[in-house]
Amino acid sequence: MASPVPTQGNLNIRDLSKKFGDFLAVDKVNLKIEKGEFLTLLGPSGSGKTTLLMMIAGFLDITAGDIDLNGASIANIPAEKRNFGMVFQGYALFPHMTVRENIGYALSVRKRPASEIKARVDEMLDLVQLQDFTDRKPGQLSGGQQQRVALARALSFAPPVLLLDEPLGALDKKLRVEVQDQLKDIHDRIGTTFIYVTHDQEEALSMSDRIVIMRDGRTEQVGTPLELYEKPESRFVASFLGKSNFLEQPDGLYALRPEKIDICAAGTGAGPARLTGTVRSITYFGSMLRVMVDIAGGTEVEVDVDSWRINTPLSKGQKVDLTWSDAASVKLARG
Amino acid sequence: MRSGLFARFNRVGAWILLLFLVTPALVAIPVSLTPKRFLSMPGGEYSLRHFTALFSSPEWLSSFFQSAVIGLSTSALATILGTLCAIGLWRVSSKYSEVVRAFLLLPMIIPQIISAMAFYRLWVPLGLLDTYPGMILAHTILAAPLVLITVSASLANFDPKLEQASRNLGASSWVTMWRVILPSIKPGVFAGALFAFILSWDEIVVTLFVSKFNIYTLPRRMWNGIRENTDPTVAAAAVVLIALTLIAFAVFALVSRRNARQSRT
Amino acid sequence: MKTLGRYISPGWFLVAPFLLLVAAFYLGPILNILWLSFTDPVPGVGNYRELYESDALVRIIWTTVRVCIVTTVFSVLLGYVIAYAMVHAHENKRNLMLGFVLVSFWISILVRTFSWLMLLGRNGLVNNAFETIGIISEPIAFMRNELGVLIGMVHYMVPYAVLPLLVNMQTLDMRVMNASRNLGASGTQTFWRIYLPLTTPGLVASTLLVFILSLGFYVTPAVLGGGKVLMVAEYIYVQLLVTLQWGTAAMLAALMLFGVLGLLYVMSRFMKLSTVFGGTAS
Repeated sequence: MASPVPTQGNLNIRDLSKKFGDFLAVDKVNLKIEKGEFLTLLGPSGSGKTTLLMMIAGFLDITAGDIDLNGASIANIPAEKRNFGMVFQGYALFPHMTVRENIGYALSVRKRPASEIKARVDEMLDLVQLQDFTDRKPGQLSGGQQQRVALARALSFAPPVLLLDEPLGALDKKLRVEVQDQLKDIHDRIGTTFIYVTHDQEEALSMSDRIVIMRDGRTEQVGTPLELYEKPESRFVASFLGKSNFLEQPDGLYALRPEKIDICAAGTGAGPARLTGTVRSITYFGSMLRVMVDIAGGTEVEVDVDSWRINTPLSKGQKVDLTWSDAASVKLARG
Repeated sequence: MRSGLFARFNRVGAWILLLFLVTPALVAIPVSLTPKRFLSMPGGEYSLRHFTALFSSPEWLSSFFQSAVIGLSTSALATILGTLCAIGLWRVSSKYSEVVRAFLLLPMIIPQIISAMAFYRLWVPLGLLDTYPGMILAHTILAAPLVLITVSASLANFDPKLEQASRNLGASSWVTMWRVILPSIKPGVFAGALFAFILSWDEIVVTLFVSKFNIYTLPRRMWNGIRENTDPTVAAAAVVLIALTLIAFAVFALVSRRNARQSRT
Repeated sequence: MKTLGRYISPGWFLVAPFLLLVAAFYLGPILNILWLSFTDPVPGVGNYRELYESDALVRIIWTTVRVCIVTTVFSVLLGYVIAYAMVHAHENKRNLMLGFVLVSFWISILVRTFSWLMLLGRNGLVNNAFETIGIISEPIAFMRNELGVLIGMVHYMVPYAVLPLLVNMQTLDMRVMNASRNLGASGTQTFWRIYLPLTTPGLVASTLLVFILSLGFYVTPAVLGGGKVLMVAEYIYVQLLVTLQWGTAAMLAALMLFGVLGLLYVMSRFMKLSTVFGGTAS
């Protein structure tokens, strides 16, 4: 490592595939990742997102295709020479080393002078606010603290790209939201490209610049959180990211978000009803009500209503009218 | 991870070492087939005369028989004592039970030469020297800790809620032990019984101290043969022992594979 | 029974038979031997004073310790190589390798000693083979010396060294090794700085286990040493069954016992003992 590592990276993934025996885990994925971007790979387990990440990190050989960093192929560079930071699932901290030794490891194996290592580790400790825990071993830290050590360790050598493999998976829900904010904040400050793998859609929506939805080894749809939520192209995307009703119309299949439907007792609405039906169940969630409505013909529509907007309480078995604006329903390009 | 030069070197080295572990024992096979009267390699000619001698010698046959009797008795006794003890310690599960467990493993860890001295010291005044009960008792004390270990390992995987469920359904603790606990830990009990038998079948140091003329087990007769270092019958006996070991190992591997498959479904 | 059960956990009734057996027929005579070391043939520390006065005794102890140390070093080193390769092999190969280890573990010590006798003698297979190829003109003395004892003992101890290491290595989180590679460490650096430190508990357990087993080893030194390599166990055997003198033998047994218990204590600081000895049963 003669010259300073580039702190920013453009990744270009071309026709990348991975086969395990006969099983095609990743199938011809094409993806351009801009420098400084926060990109999330989102998908159910078995969708190939972790396999894709492991190929980028260099832990898995590529079956076909190529990966470029700033224009040069990295496919044949071994994992330890790629200089990509990585936060592992379960963190993979070195249990026999202190926090300071963990964070200093990358520079130490690069044979950097001790003074430089110390300065850099201090900088990292500041970044993740762990100044008071330098001499503890990972076993003596809480889950959130371990997560921060893993992040500091991965960033210690100023990698152009940071890979994060379900880094919040081991944390409880409340802590998760807190750490999401910290992660986003650190990303904004250092400008490194983040590639983030998760199966948690809320996490993906709240943090990412762009999301790649993966399914069966392929990219199902790529876009900003807003695009994906408002303009899903397929039934899979619409139902995986948030909830959706699906309506069969003469010209194709439409997705309709439950919170975009207005509900009222039959005949009390301002305009004509788009659909009429019978209330089958009502579930109270505090800020909102979830109403399941049986429509004549056997379909069922879910309606989410803000609690404060209900003037006359609904009851089970009641006849109701459903209305929505034209913009609320989205025609799906694929089934 | 990609396999580097080091990994390949390591793999080759490991296989060479494994061959070093297993193959030397096989030298007994050609030696046992020599047609000569003394220990030697067969020079192109083979003969089964030493096997014939082995199986027609009253001394060797009596040693086989004695070892089998002592081994089976030891195995039965050690399995009962060790299994009860393991279940008891599992039930108690306190800091005292862990101390007792450590204490009960001592016969396995203390050098056999010291165990041999101890049995010899006590067996003389008790009149147990050179008797079946003396041999079986000594071997049981050495072998039961093995059963304790294997059964405890099985119990560690046993869900205590199953016991509670059985009690809740109206079974007494005795019935629960027979119908719920024992069937679940069968693999551990079986492995323990086998290990106990092998220990006794193969034991020489304690045997040298507590047996004399009446009891002359197979290891003891082999020991004599090895010290005298002339009669090829020893080689034939060694081959029989290797064959028995391989058969026992195959049975054990098959049974434990079947158990593993059953527990998976 | 019922009233007693209120004070004592009923589990103890199941423990009692074996516990009493061990206490009466094992612990009892061992304590008696410790007592003998101070009382036979005359009360006092005379037996222990021999350690200062008898060169022969010191030489026997020194031989024992030396042979045990060399055996342990080689067994653990070879065991580490085998265990490492096993952990990193594919499942089928790993099972085959485990099969090899367990088979050698199970083959009778007497059979193995007999085989080494055939292989290592002046006219043994190894010398004959070397002479045929022309590497040597005179047979090498493999037996009736420490070399033979060491070969036989290392051969016997390697499986014991493998099993605790295997248990330890199998519990390691391989993601930690990946993390090290990802942070820029080469395979060699990862081994020395991460893998080796993480296998220290296994190394300590395996070292102490082999050392303890070697200390009281009788069969191999007696046969392959051919009377030339006198170790403590053989000396005790001769003292008791040939010259019928308890005092010195009891003193040596006491030394060995305390040595073993001391080592076990050290070992328990590094690892749960049950996992070490449990490992031999898998």
